[in-house]
Amino acid sequence: MSTHHHCSHCCLNRRQCMQVLSMTALGAGVGAPLFQAVAEEKAKPAPKDFIDAAKLRPCPEVKVAATFLEMPRPYWLGWPGTTYDLDKHQKTYSALLAQSAQRLGVKVAREAKPIDSEAGVNAWLAKLQAEKPHAILVMLQHMGCWSWVAPIAKKTGIPLIVFAPVGTAFTGHVAGPSRTPGIHVISSLEWPAVEAALHMVKAKRMFEETRVLWIRGDKRNETVVERLGVKVRAIPRDTFNQEFDKQPANEEVKDAASDMRRHAKKVVEPTDGDLVNSARSYVTAKRLLAAEKASALSMDCLGMVQAKLVPTPPCFGWTMLQDQGITAGCEADLFGAISLMMTSYLLDRPGYMNDPVPETVKNLLIASHCTSGSRLAGFEKPAAPFILRNHSESALGVATQILWPEGEPVTLVRFSNANEMIIDTGRVVSNVETPPAGGCRTSVEIKMDDVEDCRDVLGFHQVVVLGNHRRVLQGFCELYGIKHVRSPRTSTFATGVTS
Amino acid sequence: MKATALIGGWLVAAASVAAVAAEPVAFDSPGFPPSSMDTQGRLVEDWAAVGAKLTGEGVTEGPAKVEAFKLDGMIPAARATSNRGAVRLIATAYRAPTFPAGVDVLSFRVEEARGQAAKVTLAIELPEKSRVGLRSVSLGTRTVLTLLPDAVVEREVRDWGYSDDAVSMPGWARPEGKCDPAFRNIRAGMGGVPIVYRFGVAPGSEATVVLGFCESHWAEPDKRPLVCRVEGARDQQVDPIAKWGQHKPGALAFRARDENGDGKLQVAVLPVPGAPDRNTILNAIWVFPPGPAPNLKRVLAGDLSAKAVRYVQVGGENDQSIFLPGKLEYPMTLPAGGVKELTFLAACHGGSAPIPEQAAWTTDTLRRAALAVWSDWPKP
Repeated sequence: MSTHHHCSHCCLNRRQCMQVLSMTALGAGVGAPLFQAVAEEKAKPAPKDFIDAAKLRPCPEVKVAATFLEMPRPYWLGWPGTTYDLDKHQKTYSALLAQSAQRLGVKVAREAKPIDSEAGVNAWLAKLQAEKPHAILVMLQHMGCWSWVAPIAKKTGIPLIVFAPVGTAFTGHVAGPSRTPGIHVISSLEWPAVEAALHMVKAKRMFEETRVLWIRGDKRNETVVERLGVKVRAIPRDTFNQEFDKQPANEEVKDAASDMRRHAKKVVEPTDGDLVNSARSYVTAKRLLAAEKASALSMDCLGMVQAKLVPTPPCFGWTMLQDQGITAGCEADLFGAISLMMTSYLLDRPGYMNDPVPETVKNLLIASHCTSGSRLAGFEKPAAPFILRNHSESALGVATQILWPEGEPVTLVRFSNANEMIIDTGRVVSNVETPPAGGCRTSVEIKMDDVEDCRDVLGFHQVVVLGNHRRVLQGFCELYGIKHVRSPRTSTFATGVTS
Repeated sequence: MKATALIGGWLVAAASVAAVAAEPVAFDSPGFPPSSMDTQGRLVEDWAAVGAKLTGEGVTEGPAKVEAFKLDGMIPAARATSNRGAVRLIATAYRAPTFPAGVDVLSFRVEEARGQAAKVTLAIELPEKSRVGLRSVSLGTRTVLTLLPDAVVEREVRDWGYSDDAVSMPGWARPEGKCDPAFRNIRAGMGGVPIVYRFGVAPGSEATVVLGFCESHWAEPDKRPLVCRVEGARDQQVDPIAKWGQHKPGALAFRARDENGDGKLQVAVLPVPGAPDRNTILNAIWVFPPGPAPNLKRVLAGDLSAKAVRYVQVGGENDQSIFLPGKLEYPMTLPAGGVKELTFLAACHGGSAPIPEQAAWTTDTLRRAALAVWSDWPKP
């Protein structure tokens, strides 16, 4: 499958790049045979109209101001204690911070010297108010520094990450700030949690730099989603099918169709023509995104199929986009698409939005839809095996049955609106075959964690993503003042039917 | 016209004044129907024309200059400027493209103009039937005006009433059996908005408060549990379905006390964190003199309503806001050269103003949203 497409920093042309991606998708890695194949292709010119999907993904500037907070030296009694080597720890954390910033592409401006007084904090606050970073990171080096935390958050109004290495906080210190919107507290020695927090800031900036095409109805307008800052450009639904009709089965389309077939574990219903049409959907979507300066889309696909405006639903095209970090949502469900962005921007992996079905005999949730990203473990990781099917509701085109890894943890995440997120977790039990089941092609049985009755699972079109990401999603919510909720732990059906 | 006289006058007294714009000034956001500022400097919406009235020492009448301009060189906007003796008044309006339908941002800037302190009152003209909440104004179930934090100041209040941004829903409940008529109605805090009432009492005094509930939406428990918070009493959590059942009126009694001694007894119903349904509801409130708790069966039946110091059919006929209807007044004391600005969010065509408890918008983010949208919107 020629999906992963990070070509913005390389010099490969489109065909060469697709070969790289295809092989990577197969788990071939980057080795000599691959470069040999690339070299053979070098002579062919790149089509002028090729759109690099990687360049559609938002790439915002992210600025974080950081400092160590300590008490005047030398330390005597009180935590972290006289034996705590301040210089050594600060050197270690400074190095880790620089590495994390580089990995994430975040600009971190760290104060050269630790701040050890209220006057120093106030001077720094004045600087922050002028510079307006996107977030602040304070690394505590003494329990006495907690009194500065709330004023920093309140006076700047800037999202605040508090890293309190073990030895600098009791539960009483952490509880209040942890409950304050705009503050994310990490009381731990686990540095990856700090990097994850920096990733939250980057994800928020990516939301702010995203324009999502909302392809539905007949209106053209633009609005902005509160808190997240995502721009929503509504365009008439017919725009897509009109552009689709103009899209020839050119070299890129044929290559994409060929890759689909080659990398599929099995092709059940789709014909070659279906594969070509599905690839045309993919290329059409990229053209529209580029023309509208957009980074994501959500389309009334079912309505288009019902009205017979396109020969294929876009399901497989959406798989290809999702695998390259471009959010492609179903059924014009805007907050479903924004939930897909959440996994893409914060967790660097695609998920799929699902129709939730309770399996009441086994007490499982079946999460079902006709498309899913395939790079479940991350954009940089090998793709999961998949089977090409048709779209089950219409028997048209190409849909994807992604085979999710049994036994692995998953997270279900859904923005109810910009101010509330549902977060649940579970574990993959099996992939459901259609038939005997009806419904959508990617259909995964999930044993929910800590939800007594599968009928109680909250939400619709929740996004399923591989791995247990509850803590990091909760952290994102804390940092940006979003309420997070979960499905009921105890059954609401325990009392039986009511008259 | 004496400059020192107490004079009240609308922002622009008459359209015939020479400086008044001959035509209303329209403004919009990409793809949405426009709103306009009329020749009197009022913001014209599908629910009302919102204007400002100035009164105070040294305030005179005066024409306004209404003009179109671009905020940040990009955002279509309307502005009405009038010299009013002691002060200068500038009304500005533009459309912020909030999802899904946008909202009009209306600001009133009052500038002291004579180089000496001025005391004035700015009143916002509202429709007669509008209900003024804590931070919002509603018409029926539509929130039409949101008061941003700067516009929430001490206001004249009644002796009792609701002080929140919930909505009244008369006839919502279907109580079964003989019960007080209050159980037919509710107020609902959509999306987790707390329902809050304040009752005037002798400072520090005690009372018995009874809250009445009738859940008619859910049939099963654990969907809409509620936290009841009555000043001076311990919080009580209640799940009306688990405790009484669907359509079954129920009541809870509280020993209340004006704990902070401010002469107001506060009663609130809040959502339980994490509840599947966070919309709060409340049907009835009785405030009884202190003493033994009343017989709740008789309260439910409506037998004791006449004996209550306060009896509120929440969302029903005798309910009221603690704020005076159709009236938003802002007394201002401006030092020499001083400036005061108030900003409101007005529902525009087909939409509602944001509910304050749920919205994260600020004047800064609204302006940035407008700029972001106009910056990339294709030019005709």
